[in-house]
Amino acid sequence: MNSELISRLTDSRKILAESLDYPPILRKESEEGGCGVVGFCCSLPVAGRHIYEPSRQMHNRGNGKGGGIAAVGLVPEQLGVSREILDSHYLLHVAFIDTNVRAEIENEFITPFFDIAASAELDKVDDWKTVPGLEVLPPDVCRYFVRVKPAVLDSFIEKNRLQKHGRDEAEDEFISQNSFSLNQRYYASLGEKRAFVLSHGKDIMILKVVGYAEAIVKYYKIEDLCAHVWIAHQRFPTKGRVWHPGGAHPFAAIDMALVHNGDFANYHSVTEYLKQRHIYPQFLTDTEVSALLFDLFSRTYHYPLEYIIEALAPTTELDFDRLSPERQKTYRTIQATHIHGSPDGPWFFIIARNLARQRKFQLMGITDTAMLRPQVFAFCDGEVQVGLIASEKQAIDATLLSLSKDDRRICPVADRYWNARGGSYEDGGAFIFDLNKDKEGAVRITCTDKFSTPVAMPGGTESCDFSKEFSYSIEAEETIPTLISERFVPGNASAIFEMIRDLIPQSTYDEIHLACRQIINQAKDPSKTSTAIEVLTLLNDRRFTLGTKRRSHVLHIIRTELNLLFLGLSKISVKDAARGAYRLIDFESRSDLREPQGGETTLVINAAHFAPEGDDCDAALLVDAYMKGWRRFICFNCIGQRYSGCGLGPETDEVTIDLYGSSGDYLGSGIDGLTITVHGNAQDQLGQIIKQGRLIIHGDVGQTFMYGAKGGEVYVLGNAAGRPLINSVGRPKVVINGTCLDFLAESFMAGDPLSGGGFVILNGVRLDNDGKLIDLADPYPGSNLFSLASGGAIFVRDPRKTLVDQQLNGGRFAKVTDADWELILPYLEENEKHFGIKVSELLRVKGRQLKPCNVYRKVVPGNVKDIVLEDTDDVWADEPVEEMAATM
Amino acid sequence: MASSMEKERRLEDILPENTLKTRVPQEQVERVVRPAPSRYRNEISRYIVHRSQDCRSCGKCLEICSYGVHVHKPGFKYFGEPQHHLCVGPSCEKSGRYCVAHCPTGALQIRENPMYRALGDYRWTADLILATWKMAETGDVPDPAYDYDYECGNSGGGFDRLRFKFPEKPPVELDESEIDTSITLNRRGDGRPQVTIDVPWYGGGMSFGSVSNVTQLSKARACVAFNTFTCTGEGGYMERMRPYDDHVITQVATGLFGVREETIQRVPIVEFKYAQGAKPGLGGHLLGDKNTPAVARMREAVLGISLFSPFPFHSVYSIEDHMKHLDWIKHINRRALVSTKVSTPTDVDMVAVGSYSAGTHIVHIDGGYGGTGAAPDIAKKNIAMPIEYAIGKVHQFLAAEGVRDKVTLIASGGIRTAYDIAKAIALGADGVVIGTAEMVALGCVRCSRCESGRGCPRGIATTDPVLAAKMDIDWGSQRLINLYSAWHKTLKSILRRLGMRSVGELRGRTDLMMHLDYTDEGTTNT
Repeated sequence: MNSELISRLTDSRKILAESLDYPPILRKESEEGGCGVVGFCCSLPVAGRHIYEPSRQMHNRGNGKGGGIAAVGLVPEQLGVSREILDSHYLLHVAFIDTNVRAEIENEFITPFFDIAASAELDKVDDWKTVPGLEVLPPDVCRYFVRVKPAVLDSFIEKNRLQKHGRDEAEDEFISQNSFSLNQRYYASLGEKRAFVLSHGKDIMILKVVGYAEAIVKYYKIEDLCAHVWIAHQRFPTKGRVWHPGGAHPFAAIDMALVHNGDFANYHSVTEYLKQRHIYPQFLTDTEVSALLFDLFSRTYHYPLEYIIEALAPTTELDFDRLSPERQKTYRTIQATHIHGSPDGPWFFIIARNLARQRKFQLMGITDTAMLRPQVFAFCDGEVQVGLIASEKQAIDATLLSLSKDDRRICPVADRYWNARGGSYEDGGAFIFDLNKDKEGAVRITCTDKFSTPVAMPGGTESCDFSKEFSYSIEAEETIPTLISERFVPGNASAIFEMIRDLIPQSTYDEIHLACRQIINQAKDPSKTSTAIEVLTLLNDRRFTLGTKRRSHVLHIIRTELNLLFLGLSKISVKDAARGAYRLIDFESRSDLREPQGGETTLVINAAHFAPEGDDCDAALLVDAYMKGWRRFICFNCIGQRYSGCGLGPETDEVTIDLYGSSGDYLGSGIDGLTITVHGNAQDQLGQIIKQGRLIIHGDVGQTFMYGAKGGEVYVLGNAAGRPLINSVGRPKVVINGTCLDFLAESFMAGDPLSGGGFVILNGVRLDNDGKLIDLADPYPGSNLFSLASGGAIFVRDPRKTLVDQQLNGGRFAKVTDADWELILPYLEENEKHFGIKVSELLRVKGRQLKPCNVYRKVVPGNVKDIVLEDTDDVWADEPVEEMAATM
Repeated sequence: MASSMEKERRLEDILPENTLKTRVPQEQVERVVRPAPSRYRNEISRYIVHRSQDCRSCGKCLEICSYGVHVHKPGFKYFGEPQHHLCVGPSCEKSGRYCVAHCPTGALQIRENPMYRALGDYRWTADLILATWKMAETGDVPDPAYDYDYECGNSGGGFDRLRFKFPEKPPVELDESEIDTSITLNRRGDGRPQVTIDVPWYGGGMSFGSVSNVTQLSKARACVAFNTFTCTGEGGYMERMRPYDDHVITQVATGLFGVREETIQRVPIVEFKYAQGAKPGLGGHLLGDKNTPAVARMREAVLGISLFSPFPFHSVYSIEDHMKHLDWIKHINRRALVSTKVSTPTDVDMVAVGSYSAGTHIVHIDGGYGGTGAAPDIAKKNIAMPIEYAIGKVHQFLAAEGVRDKVTLIASGGIRTAYDIAKAIALGADGVVIGTAEMVALGCVRCSRCESGRGCPRGIATTDPVLAAKMDIDWGSQRLINLYSAWHKTLKSILRRLGMRSVGELRGRTDLMMHLDYTDEGTTNT
């Protein structure tokens, strides 16, 4: 776009602001930080109630002082307008905190300028106090479907010399400026806030309240309102006793809504940058500023999305070097121009927008370069497609579960879950779901990254129709149960698993279901329960060929059956030893907790209704149960509850905990001896300060994994997100089969691996859909590996020598010696046991078996001096601990 | 005691057996003042007494001196080295007991010690250091004859320009035994223990590594005697500290050094250190020299390497992360109170309210005046907001938010005297945390060499076993008990003069103070 056009637009904004006496001093009005954000899109319009469950589960990311939702791609009939009006008219959503000003505002800001095709007041609950989660009376909301009157638009164009702009662009600008004036008059300039524009754009609406986000769904009765794209936000502002819904997210710009999780360090600088471009914040939060930035890049500068993302989250360091020379040139220019407007993290945006001219809706997530906020993406392909973005995986799970209850074609297990690597040369730290409308208005979703590269979905073309009951052929009913019961010998789990695994490629979904059912039936015999759990767990954890079936659908069957198995176990109230070693406890029966008796060994906790933290969380029940003498635990139906395994104290070697479902943050943080197995992906802050014990993760792990760890043995099937093993000391031993986003083992201080110190083995591989080992493009793509480390080592499987010196900040490469290999081999063998990743496969490169020293590279601290100091044990000195304890 | 039995029983319901197994009998320390003279033969003094060879050992000086400066051991022909530090100087002349004037041969001379001029700095003046030593030695305020100006420093700002406006006569006549100086640390009413400390201060976090084990243990013992707390700092929990578990705060700082579930479970309070007022945004650092084998072992790090604690917590980038972090510790230790220690940025008020809403029991704000020699000079006093501004700001904001009585506000960073404590409370804090003052009581001369710690000339902030052995635990504990006693007396006398029965009444009473920059009265009746 040429600069003249840009300056005409910005000049018009300047005139406007001056006419409104825009105050020069800005101070961020509230501090807020981590928030709960979720966004999802569906190829069919889906009802507002599906935002309810994920929002509720994110309560602990907000404090009930602000919540909001946005919907894009609405259904015209539900709004009482025609498709044509919905597509062509701006949907102006105005919130009246003071209902008396409505007529005044309509007379001044709406009727004089707009042709109104339809308008309505949003329905609402009579008594707001009956809606849980609301703090103050929500505003009355009116929607207006409007176009700018031609004569008004003409004079606007004339006055601001926008003749060279498209008429539609000028109309966008008019709408935007009119809302600015309204907000300035009735919101920003007042102590007592009276009204403000919630959203202004085509086929998009925003609602916000002082309360929790899901209260909106109830209060405005939009449970059944359908839309293609939904986003929701739970806010955690910390200042002020009086809040206004205006400060809640999402924030609107023309045709878009943005929610934000994080907090800018450079709010002031960004507002200055905007001010130089005559853009003036009114709500004084960094989220508003983010929406304004995005709008500036998009609507004023007409940047393609890739450049907008680059301007927000610049590519730096090694990632920049790995860009193509053309991109480097462009990006350098973008950075030079816009670096002052680039929000300095931590932040994570979810943006929904309507690109009416391109006939598509968009949902995207963008993370900052340092990846300081958690983020997960997921995609469910099939007849009905769903794309999801959230700050926590359990919000995704909750959404999918809620959606699948309404539409059985949607599988509660997504085809793929992944993270973005902020500012990277690979995905650019952003993923975009495009909802493209065909001529008939049918929508299909594609997912691409910042560079428009499509996100590969795992194979599998044949879907399971979950809307139908499972039905078995007579032949299957005859053969499968017999086959399983014949082979079902307690302790023989891996053989049974292998048998079923080999049958699955040629089996139907129904037959897989039948096989699982048969295993459950076996479990009813107490002597076979543990074997049955083991078989289903192996089927859940391992990757193997499925033929043309979709892995997510097979997994859904297996997980459902496994849950049934658990739910069928004897309740805690049953004291009959003949009823087996397992006892089931849930939220309702938690007060029945008692000591284990007779042959009871394992407490099975149905985590479903437990609180995410505090006295009512399942982790607290687990501590109580441990104190009563239970030593083996299974937790299933987890919905992101935190602190699993924490608080058991020292010497817990005999304790094992198996977790199914969405495990939560801080899992195993602080453990000293016990073993935790996560049968799926794990979340953030895992294994912090872990002293000893084992963590086995059949999936990915989140941010700051093993921060400050002192020891422990940890096996991760997938990837670790940012900053794993920072400040670790002592002797942690970790195998990560995938890779890490960045900053692996910064300030690692774990002694000398060859004499008991710690190390990390990074394999840089993934298992494909058939369970085959595939090398990742880079075993470690981040720019910082082992920075400032003074002890320990990293063993990276890097046969192609892609790691370069620039990635090491203080470390250096060393040869992998025989002693090194002897050291790490047992851990790789253990890794093989857990995940089936064979050591021989790891050593095979391009079909050839290589020597370990040609496959693995060792990174060691670069500049550690040899220091000899006299050792005096003056801290632990002659403390007769045992005796003292005995005298108590 | 019934109450302590009850406490034990409750512990068993709360903590796993294996944690309780590591509990050792808790040691009691008596709150008794005993003389604890300097461990050096010649303590630094204000005056030097010079005895020339004209002395005939007539004994006149011995007879006339009220302070025991002159030493003549029985059986010796000559006088010994005078106890210079006991000498109050030429002011004796007024009372007619000036030894120099009375010496028949003119053999005595008293002159100011040049070291006195070199000692100290604007914040910790020589008088303040000498007076603190006197308190640590005697357990009481120095005799007025010494004429130490020890209520304030000479920094020209902060607490040094604030004075109390004492009434001529207390509004109520109180006996000091009626005055309550205790404060409660849990005001949330969340079912966790109502921990109360007898004095409105507790000891700041100094890790093993930054100071010696003797220093840490001395601090702990004094805290036991005064039923208050000491803090481990970020360097792990010395096994030798375990007999004092009930008076220890485990610090969880950004490097997570030495933090284990067990060390979190042992104690009644866990402190999160986000930043230090002396060096906000710089994290923590223990330079390689101090990382001796014992330190490296406790932190499980590599010997001799400089150890850095990052800024900030890698797992906490928001208020909601902070809440999660607190919940984690509360989950691990189900009886613990949590304290959040932050520095004082300009928006410290919002940080405090945020911490409160995240569930903290104690908001601990650390201003910019504190810091030992280990904090970089460029940072000290130059980054964080002065604590006297921050206290008021936070106190008023918490009150405006309606949560002031739900949280305990603790201030630190440059609290040197009982007067500073009273001023901090009058500005709005509930209590304070002290650091450097304890080091001074142990003999610190403020030479600012803490970072090259193995060489701490006084063997306090050192991990060198030979240097650390220069101090023993009994002496160290007694010095601190004496200092605490002197402060306790001073604080009570301040409250008595203001006619207050409890230290809580003083909170937020800025009306009782004045700032010398804004008052016509040059001097006051402090």
